[in-house]
Order: sequence, then C-alpha cells, then structure tokens
Amino acid sequence: MMQTTMDELTVGQKGAVKAIHAPTQLKRRLMDMGFTKGVGVEIVKLAPMGDPMEVSLRGYHLCLRKAEARAIELR
Amino acid sequence: MQTIALIGNPNCGKTTLFNTLTGTTAYVGNWPGVTVEKKEGVVNGHKILDLPGIYSLSPYSPEEKLSRRYILDEQPDLIIDVIDATNLERSLYLTNQLAELGRPLLLVLNMEDLLEKAGIRIDVKRLSQMTGCPVVQISASKGTGIIALLQEIEHSLNQKRLPMQPLFSNFVERYITTIIEDDYLHTIPKGRQMRWAAIKLLEADDLFLSSMPQPPQAFQTYIAQARKELVEHYDDDVQAIIIDQRYKVAEHIAKDCQIKTIQAKQFNFDSIATSKFGAIPLFIAIMAGVFYLSIGLVGGYTTGWLENLFAFASLHIQTFADAVGVHPLLSGILVDGIIAGVGAVLTFVPQLFVLFLLLSVLEDCGYMARIAFIMDRLMRSMGLSGKSIIPLVIGTGCSVPAIMSSRTIEHQKQRELTVIVTPFIPCGAKMPVFALMLTYFFPGKWFIAPLMYLLGIIAVVVTGLLARALDKHKETNAFILELPRYQIPAAKNIWLQTKERTLGFIQKAGTIILLSSIIIYLLSSYSFSLQAVDAELSMLAMLGRIISPLFIPLGFGFWQASVALLTGIAAKESIVSTLSVTIGTASLGAFFTADTALSYMTFILLSSPCIAAISAMFKELGSKRKLLFAVLWQTGFAYLAALLVRYATLLLL
Repeated sequence: MMQTTMDELTVGQKGAVKAIHAPTQLKRRLMDMGFTKGVGVEIVKLAPMGDPMEVSLRGYHLCLRKAEARAIELR
Repeated sequence: MQTIALIGNPNCGKTTLFNTLTGTTAYVGNWPGVTVEKKEGVVNGHKILDLPGIYSLSPYSPEEKLSRRYILDEQPDLIIDVIDATNLERSLYLTNQLAELGRPLLLVLNMEDLLEKAGIRIDVKRLSQMTGCPVVQISASKGTGIIALLQEIEHSLNQKRLPMQPLFSNFVERYITTIIEDDYLHTIPKGRQMRWAAIKLLEADDLFLSSMPQPPQAFQTYIAQARKELVEHYDDDVQAIIIDQRYKVAEHIAKDCQIKTIQAKQFNFDSIATSKFGAIPLFIAIMAGVFYLSIGLVGGYTTGWLENLFAFASLHIQTFADAVGVHPLLSGILVDGIIAGVGAVLTFVPQLFVLFLLLSVLEDCGYMARIAFIMDRLMRSMGLSGKSIIPLVIGTGCSVPAIMSSRTIEHQKQRELTVIVTPFIPCGAKMPVFALMLTYFFPGKWFIAPLMYLLGIIAVVVTGLLARALDKHKETNAFILELPRYQIPAAKNIWLQTKERTLGFIQKAGTIILLSSIIIYLLSSYSFSLQAVDAELSMLAMLGRIISPLFIPLGFGFWQASVALLTGIAAKESIVSTLSVTIGTASLGAFFTADTALSYMTFILLSSPCIAAISAMFKELGSKRKLLFAVLWQTGFAYLAALLVRYATLLLL
C-alpha cells in the first residue's frame, strides 16, 4: 500500500497522523507540538514561495517545512 | 519570602501578566552561564520569576532544560501555569508535565475575553476538579480577573496543595506502580516525586539517570523488560509513548471542560499577510512605513529643531563664559566637548523612540512569525532560516536585542550565521553618521539612505551564500514555528520595552559618550607635553596617525577619521561626536569628498559593531575563536566593500 506523508496533501486537505519517521530529536519536537498518533491535521496554506506550509492541528496553527512534513505519515 | 515561578507556552500572554503583577518592581537579567533572559519581580511581597515560554519540559532546548532545572532545584513555593484559554488542549500538555514535578500548581486561564469570539466556553469548576489545581480566569491585556488571581495566589501559598497526577493508560500505569514500589526509588534526590522519577526511568532520560546511583542488577533487568514490553505493545519508542499518553490526558480534560459554541465569523488578517501575491509587498510596505514614520517624518521634524537648540545653547554659553572670564579649557570642554559630542547624539532620540516603538508593536502583535513564514524559502537559499529575519528586522533598531532574539533558531550553524550577519543591518546608532554625511555631501539625494540598508542586506546575502557554499555537510534542519493568533499589543508591554531601549540609548549618551567626548576634547587639545596645541599636533592626532595609514586606500587615511572609528567601538554614536569635536561638522568638506564619505559610511556600516553588540555576539556564539572570526569577517568585509564603493563612486561621478 502507498504511504501518504503530510507534504503530499494540498491546501484544504485533511488527514490523521499515523506515525512519525524522523531522528529522535525532530520526532520529539513534532510530538511535543502535538503531532501524536491519530491527531487530525489540515493544510491551511503554503507560503508565497511554495514552502513552508501552514498546518492546523489541535485548534492552533503551525508552520513547518515540507522536509519535516515528509516525516509525518498519515492514514 | 516565598517564591513563585511563572511558566507557560510562548504567546500565552505570560509577559503581559508578569508586567501587570509586578509593575515597576521587575528587572531583567541573564541566567548564569546560559543566554536565557531572567526576569524577576515582586508581587504581594513574594518573589516572582518569569520562566521562558516553552511547549514541553523535554530537555531539548536550553529554555526547556533551564525551566526544568529551576523547578526541580529551586523548588518554588508555587508554580503559576499561564494557559491560553483558546488553546487549551496543547497548553494542558505542559500542565501535565508540571503536575508531575510535585510543586503546588495554579492554573491561570488567560485571554478569557477572546473565548467568545473563538466559540469556546470553559467549565472552570470541572477543570479544577480534573486537575486538582485552583483555576482563575483572567485577561492579562484587559486587566480583568487580576484581583481574584492575587487572592488565589495567597490562598495557594498557604494551602500548599499538590496537583493531581495525570494518569496514563492501565498498561503503562502497571509499570509505573511496580517501579515506584521498588526500594531503589528511595535513592532519588530529595524533593523529587516518585512518579516523576519512575517515568524518567522508563524513558531512560539521560539528565535524570546521571543524577542517580547505579541501580541494582535486578532493577535494571526489570526496567529493560518493561521498556521492551511497552515498545512491543505500542509499536513506538518509550519517550514517544509517554508524550502520546500525556496528550491523551490533555485531550480528555480539554474535551470534558470545553463547550464549543458558534464561532463568530471574523476577518483573518492572514488572508493578506501570508497570501501568495500580497505577502511580500505587504512586508516591504510595512518596513518602509516603519522607516518613513520614524526616520523620515519624526526625524525630519525633530533633528533640525534639536540641532538648532544645541547650537543656540553653545553659542550663548560660550558668550557667557567669555564674558565672565571662564578659562578656555573649561568652556572648551563644555561647549566643544560635551555639548557638541552629546548633543550630536541626543538629536536622534525622538526618531529612535518612534523606531523602537514601532518595532515593539511588530514584535508583540504576532506579525514577526508571519514574516518568518513567508521569508523562510528565500532565507534558506542563503543558508539562513526564516526565523533569521526576526533578528534582522529588530537589528534596524539595535543589534543587541536582535542578536539575542536569534536564540529561537534551533539549528546551531544557522543561529551562528545569523548572529554574525545581524550587525550588517544598520542599527539606530549608525543613523547619525549617515545623516551627518548625507546632509553635508548629498543634500536632497534622499535615495542614498535606503541604499545603505540595501548594502547591509547585500552583505548579509553574500555572507550567507558563501557560508552555504563552504558548508560541506549541507545539513538539513527543522523549521517549526507556531503562527500565533494576532493580538492587539498590550500598551504596557510596548511602553516598557520602548522605554527600556530608548533610555538605554540616552544612558549611553550620558555616560560613555559624555566621557569619551571629554577625553577626545582633551586629547585633541593637548600635546604629549601637555601644551595647548593645535589639533594637528595633539596627542589624539599622534594616536590616530598610528592606524590611519591602513585607511589610505579607502580615502580616509587622516587621523580624525581613524580616531572616530576607534571611539565607535565604544558606541557607534560616538563617531559623530568625535568628528564634531575633532573636525567640526561644518568643515567636513575639508577632509572628505563625496567618494570618501561614501566609503567611510560603508566601512562604518559593515565593520565590527560596538562593544555591547560584540559581547552579545560572544554570549550567543559561546567561543572566543568564533567571535574573533566573526569580528574579522565583518571588518575585512567592510574594508573590501568600502574600497569597492569608493572606486565605483569615482567611476560614476
């Protein structure tokens, strides 16, 4: 089965976190910010130059680069 | 005297609350050994400490490590956890970690005034029941609920009630219970909670393990077994499991205590501020507006007015002194030393006040995070991060707070690079030099001032591109940043910050610059044999001639310019005062020409910053070798750029 990662979503699309594939430190950072298993995310917009992306989760807005979004696997 | 620690997520309104609670008792310092700001004040006779804004207590950033160490080692009598009420779930994640530290905890639900708009109601009683903590609802910016909070602080300090421990799933709790029952747990340092220690042991937290004696073999085997079973059961690493569990508790509490109502439709500024086509033009327009208002509008009115005032004062003081027969040495110190030197600097106070004020507003309203968001892609191509733009913008005011604000950049190399390039952006203190030169040599050519900023930006870009090209590892790094809700900045915060920065500037005029003006005057009036001589034969001229040959290629190889550069290391404003004392602002034309004036300005713009900024750089870079490299790079770059600018001007004119 194909894996979907968060950077593949387009603006307005939603998903739920399945797993994070990243080195320990980045993984902890992302999880501390609320990316835990099952949490819903929505892509709000992309920056004018296409990267980074603005995501909404747990009722707040966060921006992160596509490189980091690629570490977040969705289901 | 009891101690209270104030803690919370970034952007939760903690600083506003701290300012409200402490009033004028607050003072800012630095934590020993680390470059994290330390704010202390007094409330109701208790010491209150503002801890850095953090999302978690995991020891991954200096701020987090420090907050955790402070609470564990200093054992404050009360922790006040400031919660952005419109962001309850994520805030409770930190609350859960604080509850485990075993100190009395008071929850403050801030921004209650925004709840209705956000379409949320919070059941305060239920929240208090579920966490075992007293809860007070306030709006720090509107000042509501503060009296109730003060009462609750007293009450909590007397009661010393500990918060309830957030419970994880049964599967995890089983292991925690077994560990707590083991004899080994009695060896934990005094004041640490059993449950907290058990979780740290399960997580294999290095910082904690290093503070414990070697556990017995049987216990080690048990922990290893427990970790293995947890990993198998949840299919994740133990630290991740614990984060997940904490968020589950936070979700559970938030769900139970929040009642969603209908969210009011409202205009979202981000529909312009971060839009595809509007974002960057808006950013440029805002920055242009800031400079126009401060330097153009306010500066335009006040500078001339203040200059006339000081000229008027010198003239009359001189006449009066001559009339009553004051010794020329004394009247010289006063008029040509102090009034000329300090006055030249003080004329810039009004426009700097406005500049600092506008920058504070930008910092406080939430727009800075948007700038980082829209500029990240561009900044990254130069080896910097979107977050580097924040120090660069603040740097237009003063490099010192700008260099300190580079702390939020996670990646070490990018942080260091940002620290090195920030002084390239002309700070407020360099403005007087440019203004002096431009009004003399280029009257009416307003476009040259913005060109100096452009030159600063070019220096940033060139340095960034070079660093990126030389970086063999091409490491990737994280850029994770909350985009906080926009808010109207609290007037008190803005006022305090602007006042602090402006007073700092005036204070320098009254101390460093006053002193250096007097010294420069004396050195420029006397020879080494203490004879009153022409400036040409003075001590200052001799000293200046030692280094001035270095600047012959740049076109300002005369001693006055070199001495001014030296005093500029103490404070950049001194350059103007030194030139006014040694040359006199009216006779600049006898020394500089258009091309050498530009080359001089370029050198000042880019060369090593003032001593205050150098020490800020040292703190952030953390090594003498790196600092030396930074200063040499800046000065070398300045030398080459000044040379280029000089010959380019000669070709063009």
